[in-house]
Amino acid sequence: MIRGIYILGQDGNMVYSKEYATTDSKSALIEFVVSLAEFLSSVDLEQKTESMGLSLSRIFYTVHNPFTFVFVADKADDAAQIEERMGQIVEIFLKDFARLAEANQPLDGFEAKVDEIAVTMVKVAILGYAGVGKTTTLHLLRGETLPLIHDPTIGVSIKKLPEEVQNANIVLWDLAGQSRFSILWAKMIANAQVVIIVTDSTLENVLRSKKLVSLVKEEVPNAKVIGIANKQDLPTALTPERVGQILGVTTFELVAIDISYRDRLIQIIRKAILEGKDESKAS
Amino acid sequence: MSYRVLVKEDSSGSNIYAWPVFLILVEEMPEAVFIVQYDDYQGFLVKKRHPSTSRLDEETLNLLHVAHEEGDEELRLHDLDNRRYVSFKSREYPGWLVGYVLREETDFGPNRELYRGMSRLMLALMQVSPEGVDLNSIIRHERTLPELTKEQRLAKIYFTPSSALLLERLQEQGVESARALNLWLSNQVQTDNINIKEVVRPLLESGVVHVEIIEGKAEMVFLLRDIFGYRAPPVESLLNAKAYMPHISDTYEGYVKDFFSPAPPAKGYNPTIPIDEPDSPIMEDRERVFEVIHDNFNYIVLESLRDRPKSTNMISEETALPKDIVSDVLGTLESERIAVHFEDEKMWALVTDPTIKTFMPEYILPTIARRVSEKKLDRDAARRYLQLLMETWSEKND
Repeated sequence: MIRGIYILGQDGNMVYSKEYATTDSKSALIEFVVSLAEFLSSVDLEQKTESMGLSLSRIFYTVHNPFTFVFVADKADDAAQIEERMGQIVEIFLKDFARLAEANQPLDGFEAKVDEIAVTMVKVAILGYAGVGKTTTLHLLRGETLPLIHDPTIGVSIKKLPEEVQNANIVLWDLAGQSRFSILWAKMIANAQVVIIVTDSTLENVLRSKKLVSLVKEEVPNAKVIGIANKQDLPTALTPERVGQILGVTTFELVAIDISYRDRLIQIIRKAILEGKDESKAS
Repeated sequence: MSYRVLVKEDSSGSNIYAWPVFLILVEEMPEAVFIVQYDDYQGFLVKKRHPSTSRLDEETLNLLHVAHEEGDEELRLHDLDNRRYVSFKSREYPGWLVGYVLREETDFGPNRELYRGMSRLMLALMQVSPEGVDLNSIIRHERTLPELTKEQRLAKIYFTPSSALLLERLQEQGVESARALNLWLSNQVQTDNINIKEVVRPLLESGVVHVEIIEGKAEMVFLLRDIFGYRAPPVESLLNAKAYMPHISDTYEGYVKDFFSPAPPAKGYNPTIPIDEPDSPIMEDRERVFEVIHDNFNYIVLESLRDRPKSTNMISEETALPKDIVSDVLGTLESERIAVHFEDEKMWALVTDPTIKTFMPEYILPTIARRVSEKKLDRDAARRYLQLLMETWSEKND
């Protein structure tokens, strides 16, 4: 996946940068990118894109005077695919934003276009207390046979959704609900674009789950949060509206053991991803 | 671990030399090793494994990971489904974990430090040259990366910006309450989220400061040692070159002389000139000294060259670092005017020896006296400070 995009201007000044994943060596990377741009100003790449390995990453770079474009991707990524996406972003920048950049004007609208092209992976975290049906929801989303016996998740279970949304893979993080794993929640929801809070629709569980909503809003304030009122087939279930009122987030009904809910749930996630993108564009 | 004498023979069958080697016995070797990176998007990614056929399931990976989240211990032994695992996770390499699957007969207890050192080496190598990390070789030859030395701990202070700032403050005040330091630092870096314990940690671990609660009142931070980084002449290496390598000795001496005492009008390097004078070795050079010492691989190669000139192969054998890493480091040291290359002889030698020393912050005593007389410093704290300085710098201790 593309992890960082850097566009530098004539004097090596950073015109635009965007990181898609947190990194511990960000300052070292930026220092490297600036040095690379300085070096590239002394060679002629003839507007071709070249790449080099750097530790576990691959750095793609090209120069279209006066701009230097540097993309950081994973070494394991398909280089042709990254180059293609890079080419699209470079083209859009040169066509619509280069003049603004040269005049030191804000690049309004560029970020949204970059996201559309560069985001190849969307993280959706499924959070909730033990036994509410998170793993069953994951199986439902993946169209898998539903488990008959409750087998508690250990730590986290990470699976891809077979469907893509706007050419991006959806990675589902099913976080273990047992209290011993609660220390992982804050770290493991990092960089999630959507967080699904699953409840079993009982009053006790929904009230407890309010804490999860607070945790998510604190740790990933930009994530789209949706509630799931699961186990709607049980007589004690609160209505989705009531669950939503208590949680303070938009909530949808679900019977995770009923395969007929699958398409509806996928649509909900798709909508949440797109809404999340729109909100980030607006902000 | 086993100790064996490896006897090499020439073609006629006569023994030519006996070479003591440490080889890890097969039954003592772990059954499998994994290097795992935690990625915010993709979860646990097994970046390296040995043997290549070994597998580690998601549940086990999770349990190894969770155990480290529960506590600060770098190295942990796990018993999962009647199999023993060892995992290593260090604050130095966030997001990385080394996992070992132990054999039934493997005695882990006495080898804790070995596993720690091997893991440290694997992770350090993964950061610079992931393709070249040979897990099998590291385990078979028990290659390790030592813990940070005293010099490296001192250098580390300058790589934690808040800690370096705090040291500057203590160089002015000598002693200050943790609360006051916290306030001062928050003001300096314009944030309220200062974790003073984390900021003080590098200073404490290197013995530069001491923290103590005085008279049950306030937690005070005392500056016990100040730090001085400079380039020393490589005396030992020069003497050994003169004694055992006469063919390079004169040229070598010439290189060192050029740096430290060149012919006039050039003035050479003199680290004792105050930094505000035009001839003083510039601050950036001191920072470079700290940088070289702070980097593990630079430091290992530097240490290896401190006693005498050596070839890349010799350094690689002595330090257990892959040859390409040694060559890269030597290139860096050469560009920093730390090492020189004798191309015909294929030897490398130190031309300057980056060194970090500590000294007693005597200069602070008048400030302490003034602060006490102005009632800005508690008498008990000042008395304790003097006592600590005496204890630290008495002949018996330093």
